[in-house]
Amino acid sequence: MKDDVENREDRVANLKGLGCSRKRVEDARFTQGKGNYVDDIKLDGMIFGDFVRSPYAHARIKSIDASAALEVPGVLAVLTAKDLEPLGLHWMPTLAGDKQMVLADGKVLFQGQEVAFVVAEDRYAAADGIELVEVDYEELPVIVDPFEALKSDVVLREDLVAEDGSLPDGAHGPRKHANHIFTWEAGDKDPTEEVIANAEVVAEESMYYHRTHPCPLETCGCVASMDKVNGKLTLWGTFQAPHAIRTVVSLISGIEEHNIRVISPDIGGGFGNKVGAYPGYVCSVVASIVTGKPVKWIEDRMDNLMTTAFARDYWMTGKISATKEGKITGLHCHVTADHGGFDACADPTKFPAGFMNICTGSYDIPTAYLAVDGVYTNKAPGGVSYRCSFRVTEAVYFIERMIEVLAIELNMDAAELRRVNFIRKEQFPYTAALGWEYDSGDYHTAWEKALKAVDYEGLRAEQAQRIADFKAGKTRSLMGIGLSFFTEIVGAGPVKNCDILGLGMFDSCEIRIHPTGSAIARLGTISQGQGHATTFAQILASEIGLPADSITIEEGDTDTAPYGLGTYGSRSTPVAGAATAMAGRKIRAKAQMIAAYLLEVHDNDVEFDVDRFVVKGAPERFKTMKEIAFAAYNQAIPGIEPGLEAVSYYDPPNMTYPFGAYVCVMDIDVDTGVTDIRRFYALDDCGTRINPMIIEGQVHGGLTEALAVAMGQEIAYDDMGNVKTGTLMDFFLPTAWEVPNYETDYTVTPSPHHPIGAKGVGESPHVGGVPAFSNAVHDAFRAFGLRHTNMPHDHWRIWRTAHELGLHA
Amino acid sequence: MELTDDIIIQAPKDQVYAALNDPEVLQRCIPGCEELIQHSDTELEAKVVLKVGPVKARFSGNVVLDKTGAPDAFSLTGQGNGGAAGHARGGADVTLTALDETTTQLRYEAKAVIGGKLAQLGSRLIQSTAKKLAAKFFKSFAEAVDADVAA
Repeated sequence: MKDDVENREDRVANLKGLGCSRKRVEDARFTQGKGNYVDDIKLDGMIFGDFVRSPYAHARIKSIDASAALEVPGVLAVLTAKDLEPLGLHWMPTLAGDKQMVLADGKVLFQGQEVAFVVAEDRYAAADGIELVEVDYEELPVIVDPFEALKSDVVLREDLVAEDGSLPDGAHGPRKHANHIFTWEAGDKDPTEEVIANAEVVAEESMYYHRTHPCPLETCGCVASMDKVNGKLTLWGTFQAPHAIRTVVSLISGIEEHNIRVISPDIGGGFGNKVGAYPGYVCSVVASIVTGKPVKWIEDRMDNLMTTAFARDYWMTGKISATKEGKITGLHCHVTADHGGFDACADPTKFPAGFMNICTGSYDIPTAYLAVDGVYTNKAPGGVSYRCSFRVTEAVYFIERMIEVLAIELNMDAAELRRVNFIRKEQFPYTAALGWEYDSGDYHTAWEKALKAVDYEGLRAEQAQRIADFKAGKTRSLMGIGLSFFTEIVGAGPVKNCDILGLGMFDSCEIRIHPTGSAIARLGTISQGQGHATTFAQILASEIGLPADSITIEEGDTDTAPYGLGTYGSRSTPVAGAATAMAGRKIRAKAQMIAAYLLEVHDNDVEFDVDRFVVKGAPERFKTMKEIAFAAYNQAIPGIEPGLEAVSYYDPPNMTYPFGAYVCVMDIDVDTGVTDIRRFYALDDCGTRINPMIIEGQVHGGLTEALAVAMGQEIAYDDMGNVKTGTLMDFFLPTAWEVPNYETDYTVTPSPHHPIGAKGVGESPHVGGVPAFSNAVHDAFRAFGLRHTNMPHDHWRIWRTAHELGLHA
Repeated sequence: MELTDDIIIQAPKDQVYAALNDPEVLQRCIPGCEELIQHSDTELEAKVVLKVGPVKARFSGNVVLDKTGAPDAFSLTGQGNGGAAGHARGGADVTLTALDETTTQLRYEAKAVIGGKLAQLGSRLIQSTAKKLAAKFFKSFAEAVDADVAA
């Protein structure tokens, strides 16, 4: 900072703190090809591992013969479950309280499952070796339908059935069937059913939120390096939660935690895919211990889509009741959740269906009940929160579809139905029927702003004209207005009810101020593209009065960063951002004492002003934070330790509840099913806005992934359990060609309990975007009798909908 | 996956039938066939190199013939395994009709299910590849039988 800047506005601007659209400091290296991703790590003597994967979705393994593979020049070893068993590593615990095979132990449960790990001097030799590992499979009946799984005699997980045939309890209580994982309930069953039974109007609908995949551009991978001389294991990898990975590796390997260093280098997108622990990590560690060499494992695209954590796969059935005037009285929701062959969902321990119980949405619904049944099938395990907090996108899709269906039942405008039922501003903090306490909100203001911005009445008039023209044969195009109002629940979370593997979901920040007035702050989170190095420096700049440009943010190295639970579920700003502010306040408190000493006044006689402490009533007498930092290191101040450092571990008192109002305007060619999104308006309220430019970027990204999921992206299986969408030829990843223009807008309702009032935004646009796109498709056909049709709304499915409605006659 | 086609072969029906049961003729005509061993009158073992889109693999498989309809018809069922590339099983019904003394119509209806990498990568290619392979087989087969007739 220039010392001669005295104008207060200039001093604020100089900090580039809260509210500044500061350019991303990460981008200098990313845009010049200087990022350092896990596959960029090259160590002396490094070797490579890759998997023999099952071509079958369900089969018994009769034998594995690796002799021909071991003849391939360069192939060093082939690991199977038999090799891992003596170490107790042939199975590993999952985040959901289940266990998962690291390498196939007698059978395979999904196509692509890891059967053997071929270790070779290079990737090519490993690939040649894989071709020659002979596995003798005995095919077993395949179950890809969770409803069939609950009726079938075919037992997928024999390890979970006792010898006498009884079913021991799972991690979440009693199980109803060998292929059943858990039943999880929230709310009041009987009162809800009674309210619905006696209601004036009831709408019912079943919907499938299809299986999809986060598909980050960079696939998962790691480099494990066991230093046998000093007994230390270093593990680089694509980890969204490096500290939790260190603890997990320690617990399952027996290596003491201080001898493990986990490093997340630059990560090329995560979106939930990189939260879990995968067999590749375990096998790489074992291979490094066995060979004494660093071992690299990097997924290819098919491996990534087929085997590492999918998202969604929820079959949801709802009943919603209301008065004739449209006041909602009750909501009933049942979910059959397809978890695949192992329950490896990444959710806080007490929430096996994540925060699905936020499914009352943004509405004041007095009575509600939710039950979720988790089911095993012959599909890949996972169930991560793909760009959303735990299962929130499912919850919001469910309620926003139920609202639309209820609007049809009531013959009411869907915007008006929402307006009638929103939780009112004065009701916050609001305790929902399914238990959550919403910290803050102002839904009506956001809704009216959005409707006005898009000229909602005008759009409806245009749509009515279009329908008339269509019926008169003047056009073959229909117009849909997709409404969505969402409330996210992010920032997991309070240690009292949120943990993963027993680790409380706090987060942390440690700050060191250097003598010359610059600083480094280390956090327990890890950026995967969110721009933490930019935004956390801004939070700190406003708290401690040093320019953001003078603050380095470092994350991802467990040897240097304080312990934290990582980055997913939009928790970084609500939790680690809060820790940053709180640690900054500790710095400021000490700085205040130093300033008072230097100014020769009492501690209480100085006050903080942007970048300095000033004597109250005499602003010409001040010490800048830069001067204070230097004094902290060069003056002996009675009663104060030298140095200027602070650490904060922040346990949030509550979640944060960002919300937003989205409107999508879509034209649909009835004869081809081709959609044209002509307008997309997104209003987000994420509380205090740290960096508007980054928020806008996050909203664009989240909406684009919402577009993907709603309009085409899916992991589809055939009856034999073959993954039909295992490559980017078949798995829809939007490009600039498909992406519409987005208009962004905002309101600001700060979180009352967050130190700076911020709520998190990275996932909101995905959560709110999916129903907006989907509702637009539904709305286009509402006048022709469509109630519900499942996503993804690709051209063929839309064409089929039009066909089934008789619009091609 | 289903395949159906009609082929006209310039040979008497009995000769066509005999050629269809001749491992040497079959080995010559099956695209990519490296080995065809006849274990019994109705059991064959084959090794075939196949390329479907980006997947190339050596398949080893068994074929069982059902000759109860001979010489007007016969059926075959089989399964093949290509290791990491995937696997397939299926069958075909073949009917032979004498159009005149030197011309035979061969009609086949084949069904197959495929799995593994073939199914994932090749789903959009498999139908066209299978059609191409079948066409290649019957072209070679017709030529082989015609040649035998000429000889």
